[in-house]
Amino acid sequence: MILEAKELNYFYQDGDSRRYVLKDTNVGFEKGKFYTILGQSGSGKTTLLSLLSALDSPHSGNVLFNEQDIKKIGYEKYRRNNVGIIFQSYNLIPAFTAVENVLVPMAITENEIPEDQKTVAYNLLDYIGIVKSKADRPVNKLSGGEQQRVAIARALATNVELILADEPTGNLDEEMEQEIIDIFKKLAHEHDKCVVVVTHSNEIAQQSDQTFMLQKGKLSAYE
Amino acid sequence: MNFIKRGFLSVSRKKTKSLILLAVIFILGNVISGSISIQQATDNVETSIKERLGAAATVELDYEKIDQMSEEEHMNLEISNLDLELIKQIGELSYVKYYDYSFSTWLGSDTANSYLGEGVEERYEYDGPSYDFQLKGVNYAPVLDFEEGIGNLLEGRAFEDQEVENGSSVAIISKKLAEINDLQIGDNITFTNSVYSYDYTTGEEKLETSRDVILEVIGLFNPTSVSVEEGDRDQGMFDYMNMEYQNTVYVPNEVVISEVTYQFEEYLKYDEEYAAIVEEEGISMTDYYIPIFVLNSPEDSRSFAEEVQPLLPEIYKVSSSGDQYDSIAAPVESMSKLAGYVLLIAVVATVLIIGLVVLLFLRDRKHELGIYLSLGERRARVVGQILLEVMVVALIGITLSLFTGNLLAQGISETLLNAENTQNQYHDMIYYSELDAYQTNVTMDDVMASYEVKLDFSYILIFYIVGLLTILVSTIIPLIYIVRLNPKKIMM
Ligand SMILES: Nc1ncnc2c1ncn2[C@@H]1O[C@H](COP(=O)(O)OP(=O)(O)OP(=O)(O)O)[C@@H](O)[C@H]1O
Ligand SMILES: [Mg+2]
Repeated sequence: MILEAKELNYFYQDGDSRRYVLKDTNVGFEKGKFYTILGQSGSGKTTLLSLLSALDSPHSGNVLFNEQDIKKIGYEKYRRNNVGIIFQSYNLIPAFTAVENVLVPMAITENEIPEDQKTVAYNLLDYIGIVKSKADRPVNKLSGGEQQRVAIARALATNVELILADEPTGNLDEEMEQEIIDIFKKLAHEHDKCVVVVTHSNEIAQQSDQTFMLQKGKLSAYE
Repeated sequence: MNFIKRGFLSVSRKKTKSLILLAVIFILGNVISGSISIQQATDNVETSIKERLGAAATVELDYEKIDQMSEEEHMNLEISNLDLELIKQIGELSYVKYYDYSFSTWLGSDTANSYLGEGVEERYEYDGPSYDFQLKGVNYAPVLDFEEGIGNLLEGRAFEDQEVENGSSVAIISKKLAEINDLQIGDNITFTNSVYSYDYTTGEEKLETSRDVILEVIGLFNPTSVSVEEGDRDQGMFDYMNMEYQNTVYVPNEVVISEVTYQFEEYLKYDEEYAAIVEEEGISMTDYYIPIFVLNSPEDSRSFAEEVQPLLPEIYKVSSSGDQYDSIAAPVESMSKLAGYVLLIAVVATVLIIGLVVLLFLRDRKHELGIYLSLGERRARVVGQILLEVMVVALIGITLSLFTGNLLAQGISETLLNAENTQNQYHDMIYYSELDAYQTNVTMDDVMASYEVKLDFSYILIFYIVGLLTILVSTIIPLIYIVRLNPKKIMM
């Protein structure tokens, strides 16, 4: 298991009472597999992902990366060295070009990056489907699908084995959605990454190796 | 692409914001640099004027205080003389370069003629006592007046310690006096110490006895020339002072004391009434000294005064030649004060305004900063990036305002000084002070002339430090905002 959640609890204080979003949740993910997490709106998918990506901490329970508690690794350190995160709203830096956006995490991570970072970034973008002419454009002059590709390239830039994505195709049309999903499949199956995608699309879920259903604060295997 | 590169890239990509920040910093920078320029200029005036005023100080009666006393206080006033021991104690303070305490007396002469002024030949004779020559006692053998440049030794030599100690009969006279009386170094000059009795009813003076004071001329001095413009209203005063100085004879202090004692004691023989009073009250003629302390630097005068004042008997005060500065430099001082307030207000305003501008810009960039944090960037580096961005713009803005603010200060101070100058024409009442001989008279015009807004190294250094520090402080407050950013809330 590259990533495990153990007895995760997360709640929002609602007046005097606690409203649990996650209750004693357990789940595990392996390398080389493409996972999807399904659930109704408001079921806590984003909350779960924020805990798995160390953008937030659970009220109790642990997240283990390669058997090691990410709290021990250090949240910031875990984020810069061990996980690539993809958001629904891309979250790119609008003043920078595509390639500059990909270069940003390369300077933050402590992972080994080949000498010529710029070439690596261009190659990565090219592999994801952004040609050089588009790579040198400010990202706010790219289409939604192109922007999400740049975001994927950015998540891959630090050479991590774990990719977490929160509704990455939520703002895209079906054709574009399929292309993105194909990239995720390739990453899992050809590059031995662990890809976890939160979605509410059943079509996407059907293409994944395993789907979890988030319901009433608990995850269960689907199908 | 590390945080430094990111910072530079952000500054160059977001041109409008960078320019807005630059404009704000430039405008505020002008106010700061202008007020620093003015303060530097006024500081320079203070040092250069005080330098010219000299570093002499004395301890004297506080006439101002005596004037302000009530009648009753006047009656009870007992003025004690300055103790020689106290003078020596003060003279040993570290601020003092050298000092002297002299005693003077006036003598006439039957054989020597005094100097009467340029072009004055006629001498009218009269029978009464004549006191044409001032014998000025010296304890400091190299002669303080020469060291201070009041006069300069032209020929011969100054005293030797031995001569001062023994009260040898040697004298340094002015070159003029030597010429008039055809005297060379090594010649003797003879003065007459005459004792007159005074009849209170008739007002007649009668020569009772006298003795000759024969002194060997060992040196000739010349008063240091002071240029006085033709038609100056001080011309008459100057001529008189010059004449008096030409007739001054420097002798060891003991010589003066011995002559004064002789005269006093002889006089008492002819005035029994006064002798009785003297007997009763123990009056002595020889313990009234006027000390002159020359300090190492004019800047020491304040601390010197502070240290000496507690040692003094009541109603004595320390006067320094630099005291004059306070009365003449009022317009400059008030401008310095004004500049100080402006500087303070400008710094506070800068902290608030830049702080607000940076905070607004940061809120705009919340998303970007959240991205860095979500990618695992250390908060310190995000803070560093923002600091760098602001400081790069600040450096440019401050460098620009360095020059313009300085120009601004030149213009403003000219206007201000001219306006102030016309308002401050009158001085307070001036009391005669022993120090007057040791200080050059400095006028308002001299103050104006020495006022100069310069673009010198110390100004540049101070401005960069104040300017950059102010902006640094103003950026630190909004940076707390970054520290508190929650990337999850921003991103998800
Ligand atoms: N800051 C908050 N304060 C209180 N409740 C919150 C807060 N953020 C989220 N919630 C609640 O927590 C629950 C889980 O939210 P979450 O965003 O994880 O759902 P989700 O499954 O991602 O939904 P969606 O599919 O719409 O994105 C929701 O009921 C939501 O209303
Ligand atoms: Mg969600």
